[in-house]
Amino acid sequence: MALPAKVFTLSRNGHRMFGTSLRLCAAGKDIVTVPKGYVYVNNKELSMEINEITDRAATTMFLGELFRGFAVTLAHIFKEPATINYPFEKGPLSPRFRGEHALRRYPSGEERCIACKLCEAICPAQAITIEATTRSDGSRRTTRYDIDMTKCIYCGFCQEACPVDAIVEGPNFEFSTETHEELLYNKEKLLCNGDKWESEIASNLQADHLYR
Amino acid sequence: MAKYLGLDRLGKIFQIIRQSGGIKNAYMKLYRFDDLKVGTLVGTDKYGNRYYENPYYFYGRNRWVEYADHLNLEYDGSQIPADWYGWMHYKTDLPPIRDGSRPKYKWMADHSENLSGTKEQYMPYSTTPPKVQAWDPKKSK
Amino acid sequence: MFRAPLTKVIQGRFGSPTHGITSKAIRSSAALSQTPAKAPEKIEVFVDDVSVKVLPGTTVLQACAVAGVEIPRFCYHERLSVAGNCRMCLVEVEKSPKPVAACAMPVMKGWRIKTNSEMTRKAREGVMEFLLMNHPLDCPICDQGGECDLQDQAMAFGSDRSRFTDINHTGKRAVEDKNFGPLVKGIMTRCIHCTRCVRFACEVAGVEDLGTTGRGNDMQIGTYVEKLFLSELSGNVIDLCPVGALTSKPYSFVARPWEIRKVSSIDVLDAVGSNIVVSTRTNEVLRIVPRENEDINEEWLADKSRFACDGLKRQRLVAPMVRMPNGELQAVEWEGALISVAKAIKDAKGAVAAIAGQLVDVESLVALKDLLNRNGGETLCTEQNFNVKGSGSDLRSNYVCNTTIADLEQADAVLLIGTNPRYEAPLINTRLRKSYINNEMDIASIGPKIDLSYNHQNLGEDAGLISQVCNGGHPFSKVLENAKKPAIVLGANVLERPDAAGIHTTVASYCKKLNKQGWNAFNVLQNNAGQTGALDVGYQPGTQAALKAQPKVLILLGADGGKVDREKLPKDCYVIYIGHHGDNGASIADAVLPGAAYTEKQAIYVNTEGRAQQTLAAVSPPGMAREDWKILRALSEILGTPLPYDNLDDLRNRIEDIAPHLVRFGKLESSTFGNLTEQLATSKSIENTKIDVKQKKLREYFMTDPISRASPTMARCVREVSGEEAKEESQRQAAC
Repeated sequence: MALPAKVFTLSRNGHRMFGTSLRLCAAGKDIVTVPKGYVYVNNKELSMEINEITDRAATTMFLGELFRGFAVTLAHIFKEPATINYPFEKGPLSPRFRGEHALRRYPSGEERCIACKLCEAICPAQAITIEATTRSDGSRRTTRYDIDMTKCIYCGFCQEACPVDAIVEGPNFEFSTETHEELLYNKEKLLCNGDKWESEIASNLQADHLYR
Repeated sequence: MAKYLGLDRLGKIFQIIRQSGGIKNAYMKLYRFDDLKVGTLVGTDKYGNRYYENPYYFYGRNRWVEYADHLNLEYDGSQIPADWYGWMHYKTDLPPIRDGSRPKYKWMADHSENLSGTKEQYMPYSTTPPKVQAWDPKKSK
Repeated sequence: MFRAPLTKVIQGRFGSPTHGITSKAIRSSAALSQTPAKAPEKIEVFVDDVSVKVLPGTTVLQACAVAGVEIPRFCYHERLSVAGNCRMCLVEVEKSPKPVAACAMPVMKGWRIKTNSEMTRKAREGVMEFLLMNHPLDCPICDQGGECDLQDQAMAFGSDRSRFTDINHTGKRAVEDKNFGPLVKGIMTRCIHCTRCVRFACEVAGVEDLGTTGRGNDMQIGTYVEKLFLSELSGNVIDLCPVGALTSKPYSFVARPWEIRKVSSIDVLDAVGSNIVVSTRTNEVLRIVPRENEDINEEWLADKSRFACDGLKRQRLVAPMVRMPNGELQAVEWEGALISVAKAIKDAKGAVAAIAGQLVDVESLVALKDLLNRNGGETLCTEQNFNVKGSGSDLRSNYVCNTTIADLEQADAVLLIGTNPRYEAPLINTRLRKSYINNEMDIASIGPKIDLSYNHQNLGEDAGLISQVCNGGHPFSKVLENAKKPAIVLGANVLERPDAAGIHTTVASYCKKLNKQGWNAFNVLQNNAGQTGALDVGYQPGTQAALKAQPKVLILLGADGGKVDREKLPKDCYVIYIGHHGDNGASIADAVLPGAAYTEKQAIYVNTEGRAQQTLAAVSPPGMAREDWKILRALSEILGTPLPYDNLDDLRNRIEDIAPHLVRFGKLESSTFGNLTEQLATSKSIENTKIDVKQKKLREYFMTDPISRASPTMARCVREVSGEEAKEESQRQAAC
């Protein structure tokens, strides 16, 4: 831990250790007087004093900037990486995360969706298409529940609009596909998603229930 | 002094290699997972994926999964089942084996990875019958 | 009807007078005050401090409507009697200790009505709270959701918070659902007891099937005994119901009002030409609802017109078909079909005839006539027969309703000959019923004993009675002759009899006697939407001419009536069917060219009073089907005799050349030369045989054309209504 840290500090404070006067090099002469509280953003004019010209020439000649860059790289080799090793480690997510859609069921296994079409109405991207009919037992059900996942903007309005918590945006975001049509989800796919993800969806809703 | 020279790290390497079961296994692990880490095994899911935790690493790296051995290099982020998903993503500190509130209904389906590009990939189809029923001259007779 | 002004109320735009409301209020107020002989002086009242002058007897609600202020209401309806039981229309009247029900209270001179005062608002809020207390919170599964008066008014006038604490719903009212039949779905827990449906059934439909039982919280709408709501107008209670208690069964759960596209069109399933709105979504006709037209259908619609629209999706012709050497029809491409059809017409060398069916539009009639005339064919007929002797169909007044539908309402003596307007033209029957109620009209019928939903005198079935009445020798002749506004309605089917000429001229000359200034008593009630238009553009009525010509090629333009079959035609006759449904016509055809139904084309139809109206295309024709006139235009190109029109405008210009009245949509052109009928008459003899009507019972009403024959809803109606009618019959016999 200690050695890499030292190397890293070294690169950060390199100008102090490696003599070349960085500060002077960077400092140019202002052409215009800048009022207090303002920052001058244009290119500064370089100083034409003899020792500063020499300094600049020396930096160029001995590849000073190149070595400083190497030093930074070298320091990071010993540092613990700041990235995560994705498929094995995963970043934190909120229970409210809005990922892949799913249609849920009641504990009895009965599908929740009652085809009220509020999600279809609220969808700002018009990604949802619903067709409904009377099921043989007389209840109101969808025959078609299609979501064009390529149109969807994942705003979550559909799950907000749903009076029975049927359509939800589940936690899954790893549903990328190789072709466009695979993202045109139909009712079976959405229900299947619900069956797959119910454990996580239910605990997300539980985690959020106080705020709903 | 040992700490200053990073010798404790060297010790850790030996510890990791020991835990991985020898140099060869450690090498295989590094080859598969691009990383060698040591941690406590929190649990194993029904698909054989092993979940580890080690608070020594910073938040975001302190929980990780080692995909089931039979997958070899065919591992994928979507292979983590819904049960472990919340724990993996730091939504909860309770791994599913200790979380009693998770529902278990008999209609809940097994997990499947993202099947895009395989033969079992999802292909959309219409769930409704055709709108217009054409007249069939043979049927009417 | 209430929704549009309501938005104004919500937006707070009070006091903007709308002409529609004004005229409506004046009309109904006139009806209420029984039109006294001397025009009474108008009295002045103040609505929100705006002075309006109204006739005495005007109700507060109507006075507010004149001032342009819409009062919320559930039970009040302009075309029904006042019930005053929903209390939603409570308003404050100055110096009155409690709010008054605006729909039932006549205004007094100088009243100051406050429609937006604290008391009024509180009263509305209270009534709304009571209504919602016993109304289920099932809007997401309710079909009325989105077009519900209760939803809208709860938003506009209800309280912004709830005092309902009974989350276990222990005291919430629940009522058992009732079976009203295959068309109306009753979810009676949602009922708010406005009794609009009960009043409609009693007053307009004339079926006293619906009523209320119980009082207060236990009040229920129903049929008392388990029974279907048997009426040809039952669908209208769906529109009347301000909540979702009565909804459409075939349309149930299908669509939401916000996702449908509405197209104004004309109904063609009877000859009334009711104005309709076709609701579509994703190129599919979902439902048909009436559109207001005071001259034709008021705001009602008959059940067949409303519910047969699912027949537009069944049994459709979606690809051209040609009969193969093995005797089977096989789908082919347009090119092949048109070439083989053209070849047959060419080979016929002029021996071509055409028969137009029940649902054909004027455009295709004209295109077909032009096409045939260019290829040496002159024999063009309609499928339905009519008197062809004497002036026959040459004079327009001979085959239309000269009295006009709206004026029939004023008639005070009507004779129906061989017609059952209740099922042939339900909305004309409502006019007659209205007249029966308001004018104490005397009405008699010659024909079988039928139930017209009002009392009438059945003179008998014998056709000889017609000459008896017309000679003045029958007691009912006196009634007709003494009446101020008499009318005789001749059924279209009577004129299919062999002695049609006799009946036609006898009645026409008698009507000449009955006619008054500005009043024509002679009416022919057509029952096919295409018939008047076909006769207008010069088709001969009846298939005899086509069959007698022994044509080599016979073109059936939507002729599905089953009046033509293979036996009657020469062996080598090539039959071409152009139409939209696979029915009688297509099954005998050698070539089938798929056309468009009335919801799929912009087309002219002429109703039984001779009013030309046009349908608009709500959806596109299915599959390879095309508009009929376009098929004929394409065929003419292959025949080498191209028709001189390439688009609808050109075709309409051509129609205007033939008959200019056909493109003056919505206007009624009165027919001239009616007096010549008698002079041109050839025979007046009437055979003494029985007169029959085709549709006597409700079950015979539902399936009369290819669209309704293909409709599963209509099939269900026939099944359930037959069962119910058989049950009633057996009960009646058991009681005797």
